[in-house]
This record gives sequence, C-alpha cells and structure tokens, in this order.
Amino acid sequence: MRLLIVEDDAPLASGLRRILEAEGHAVDVTSRGEQAVLAAAQERFDLVILDIGLPQMDGFEVLRRLRAAERPMPVLVLTARDAVDDRVRGLDLGADDYMVKPFAMPELTARVRALLRRSQAHGGPRIVHGPLALDTVARRAFLKNEPLELAAREWAVLEVLLGKVEKIVSKEAIIQAVAGWGDDLSPNAIEVYVSRLRSKLEPAGIKIRTVRGFGYMLEEYKGP
Amino acid sequence: MPARSLRAHLLRMLLPPIAALLVLGALVAYYPSIEPATTAYDQGLIDAGISLGTYIRTSERGYRLELPTAVDQVLRRDSYDSVYYRVLGPDGEPIAGDDGLPGPPPDRDARDGFVSYDTAYKGQKVRAVAVPAKCGTAPCSVVVAETTVKRRRMARDILFSSLLPEILIAFATLVIVWFGVKRGLGPLARLSDEIKARSPGDLRPIAAADTPEETRPLVSALNGLLEEVAQASHNQQRFLANAAHQLRTPLAGLQAHTELALAKSLPREVRSELEQVHEATIRTARLANQLLALARAEPGARANATELNLKTLAESEADAWVHQALARDVDLGFELEWAPVQGDAFLLREALANLVHNALEYSQAGGRVTVRTGRKGTQSFLEVEDDGPGIPPAERERVLERFYRVPGTPGTGSGLGLAIVREIAAGHGASISITDAMGGSSATRGCRVAITFPHG
Repeated sequence: MRLLIVEDDAPLASGLRRILEAEGHAVDVTSRGEQAVLAAAQERFDLVILDIGLPQMDGFEVLRRLRAAERPMPVLVLTARDAVDDRVRGLDLGADDYMVKPFAMPELTARVRALLRRSQAHGGPRIVHGPLALDTVARRAFLKNEPLELAAREWAVLEVLLGKVEKIVSKEAIIQAVAGWGDDLSPNAIEVYVSRLRSKLEPAGIKIRTVRGFGYMLEEYKGP
Repeated sequence: MPARSLRAHLLRMLLPPIAALLVLGALVAYYPSIEPATTAYDQGLIDAGISLGTYIRTSERGYRLELPTAVDQVLRRDSYDSVYYRVLGPDGEPIAGDDGLPGPPPDRDARDGFVSYDTAYKGQKVRAVAVPAKCGTAPCSVVVAETTVKRRRMARDILFSSLLPEILIAFATLVIVWFGVKRGLGPLARLSDEIKARSPGDLRPIAAADTPEETRPLVSALNGLLEEVAQASHNQQRFLANAAHQLRTPLAGLQAHTELALAKSLPREVRSELEQVHEATIRTARLANQLLALARAEPGARANATELNLKTLAESEADAWVHQALARDVDLGFELEWAPVQGDAFLLREALANLVHNALEYSQAGGRVTVRTGRKGTQSFLEVEDDGPGIPPAERERVLERFYRVPGTPGTGSGLGLAIVREIAAGHGASISITDAMGGSSATRGCRVAITFPHG
C-alpha cells in the first residue's frame, strides 16, 4: 500500500516511516501541509497519516482540502493536543481515526491496518480477516478456503464485528444492526449467536473477546 | 478591620448636621415667639403699676398709698406667681408695698417711661417693671414684680412645641436613610447575587443594561477584570496545548525509535538497557499527560462544562482500556447506567482514565476490574472497582495527595493519578470515596473508588 506521512518532527517522521516500511508499505514523507495537498492532488495514496500541529498550513486546513478532493483518501490524524474540540474538529472534518501522541507503535500499525482494510472493503465485495473471507455479494463465507456454513443472523453479527476489528461493539449496537430483520432480539440471543460463531471460528485462530457488561471485540488475527 | 457599613457611615455623617439643624431650628422658632409673650406679660405688670399709681394720696404728713383691701387682693391674686409691688416717693423713699424689692438698675433706659428688668427678691428670680407715677405734682414711681413660674412654663411650652416637630422630622430622616440605603443598595445586592450564582468558569461580562447608572462604573470595572481573567485563562489553555504538543511530539519520536530498535536482534545487555529506556519513555509521556491534566484541572482553568452522560463517556473510552486490560490479562467489565452530569468532558475522561489505569496497574493477572456509572437517588456517580490488594484505611486520605504512594507499592507510578482525580472531582463539586471492594475477601480486600456528583 502507498502511505503519505505528513509530520514536521523529523525523528518521529523517520521512525514512522521505518515502522510502516517494515510492515511492507511504500511510504512518502513530507513536513509541509502545502506539499501534502499537492502530492495528494497528483498521486493516489491508500492512507494519509497527518499531524495536526504543522507549521504554516496546519493539519486542519490540510484535512479540509484532502476532504474536498474528488476521491477522498482515508486520513489518520496524529495530534499532540488533548483539547476535546480538537478531536471533535478532526472527526467532524472527516478524519477516519485519530491518535494522541505519544503512542505505542503496535497500536499505530494496528490502526493503520484497520483503516486500510476498511478502505479496501469499502465498495469491495470481499472482506478478509486472516483465514476468514466473506463474499458479501454472494453471501458466502470461507474459512481456510473451505466453505463455512453461517446462519443469517450469525452472518449479520459477524459482519458487524468485522467492520470494527479491535474495537468494542456494544450488544446494543449488534442488536440494532441485526434487528432490522423484524422481531425483537434479547441480549441473550446475541450471546447465543456469538457463542456459535466462536465455536466455528476459534479453531482457526479467530478470537471474539467478551467485554463484560458491554459487548464484543473481534481481535486482530495473530495466526492460528 | 471590621467591615464598614455604608449605613452606619451615612448615619454618622448625617447625625451632626441634623443635630445642628435641630438646635438652630429650635432657636429660630423660640426667640421670635418668646419676645411677644414676654412683652404681653410685662404689659400686665405695667397695667398693675399704672393702676397702683392712681391710689397715691398726698397729705401734709407726706405721701401714702390708700389701697382698698379688695384691690390689693385682686392685684396679688395669681394662680402661678407671687406678685410684689413697692411705691417710691419723688426722692426714692419707700412709701408703701414690699420692702426691699429692688428698683431698676440705674443704667437701664426707660421705654415709654417704663423700665422692665430681671432681678431677685426673697431668694427668687423675679421679673419687675418700674412705672412712673405722680405724687401730687412730683414724679415718683411704682415697681411691680412677679416670680417667673408662668413665664418659665410658657418658655418651656414654646420650646417644646417648636422642638417636637423638628425631632420628629429628624427621626423620620434617620429612618428613611436606614431603609433608603437598603433599598438604594438593592441593585448592588442583586448584582452580587448574580455573580454568586455564576459557575466559576463563567467569565462572560455582566450585562450592564439592567443595572442602575450609579453601579455602571462597578459593573464596568468587574467586566474589565472578568475579561482579563478570561484572557489569562485562555492564554493558559493555549500555553498548555502548546506545551502538550512540544512535549509529546519528541516523546512520540523517542518511543518510535526505541520500539524500532527493540524489534531488532540485539545483544542481551543492550536490549535490557533499551527496554528500560522504553519504559522510562512511556512513564515520562504519562507523567507529562498527568501534569498537563493537573494544570488544566486547577480552578479557573475549566470553562468547558456541558451536559454529559458518564455512561457515554465511559463507553467512548472503553476501547483504549480493553487493550490495556488484555495486555495485563485482566477481565475488564462494565456496568453502565444513565448518569447525567454537568462537567468538562476532557477532565472527566482523564479522571476515569486514571482510575481505570490504577485499577489495571494494581490487579493481578486473572483479576477483575469493573467500571460503573449510574445514579443513586438524584446523584450521578462513577466508580471503578478492582480485586487487587486494596488501600489500607489509614492510607486512604494520603493517596489523594500529589506524589504520594503507599510505601511498598510495586510498579512505577508517579503518585499523581488519584491527586488528579481528586482535583477534577473537586472542580465538579463531586465527592470522592475509597472503600474496600464489594464482597472482597480478606486476602485481597480490593479497592473501589467512587466519585459522586452533586444533585442535579
């Protein structure tokens, strides 16, 4: 994947570049907002990692211009400021995610992977998670290339979880996503579907974590 | 120094002139009315003297007064005063009447032939008149005097009747001042009520339109001050944001490079050194965050209170905590109910993050941490409970102090977390309590920190 890092702190920028290159991405770095806007106008990046605190044209302005482009690219905002309205402004302007500095590198790479996956999945009919693949058009699932039988509601629950890997999805959110199907669903019913999904997916190393009293989280695939 | 009462001050200033006016008013009323009254009484004495003069008779043995007893009685009859008279011959020799009644002082000029004067007789003050009379053809004189009982009584009556209304007016003035000041200061009292009712972060100017003209300078001075405070607070916020940026960006770079280096194969000693650098970096970053949070939580630095639901707040932060909990193999759970508060989202998030961080930090692998929000009666609360070693009751006050850590505590905390929580709770008028966990065993008492927000 092609990534653009917009960060004016040279040590941080070089660190980010090396970490993301180690993940197998092609990475361009610029320290200036104006250059980032120019580069994004000429070339297609799969993800822009954007620092808010840039000299001259600041990150908000860069973000606004990137959003105004014909085919907006996903943007991960880095901010050193903790003011609440900075976060809100960032997300309102259309950042796909944000991280407050400093951050652990594994968290950064996980977020980058999630954003890339989401942007690939967006409009694409195929969702891939480790050995699991969902063909959303044909509504067929494959595990290790073998067809996987999923009941309609199991499919719906899995689709919700796959949309937010490494993020907690509350039971209420799952019910809302699945209950478009007519009848009322109790939280207990969701537990049943999740436990069925677990028994089908866990042997392949795909883990669904229960967050007590809140919901579920599909963990990142870390191998079988 | 005792507070100076405007009322007392006004009264103190008003009393001397009012008293002076009172005296002056009484004098002005007294003298013009005492003069005609005195003249009228004197005229009575003169009439008596003239009529006495008509009873002087001349014979070869000299002059004598032939006064019928009835006339003498009429003359001397008076309900209040004793009346005296004396008839003197042409050479001043006494002819009749009360011996020793003093004549007029020699320097006194006669007016229409009469002389009135004050003197004393038989040990009493008397008012006397000397009236000219005829002893045959020679001029002689009659002196008539009376004690001053009715004159004094009259003077007293005049004084009293002129003073009474003045005293009433003065008293009314003082009463009006007393209540008038209270009433007149009403706008000030309303102004102070308005300022008292404000939240500490509310630095908007006071509306000058509905205040009386006299308080405008005060309102405008207050508004000037408010503006300066708001500006200072704004500058402080901006400084904090910049400081955060300046601190965090290099720390992020340091962390990135350390982690990159750690990902390589390294000699054992180098790896061990580097791991310590890495840990110190993370601790420094956390400390920087905490110091900034502490600075922001300080009074005067919070102006972002909005309607919040602690449930939503906890839900929005759950992602970050779950990953920490997974890394430590702690079962992080939530029991979240609707809990509305008026508060600063950033600070409350920071408080909650500190509580969860502590709970995770002091939990054993396999432990349980539970985050709760909800309402007890009309009060919203948030609490974090763990089943770790807990905090001994004797230490519960002190752990809220900055940089204090329970002796023997493992780990590398700064001792700032709970101080920040306390600071933020105080800023929201909330109370903080540390207790054993519910159903904690004796082996691990566990710890439950609850923040209870004011009724609302």
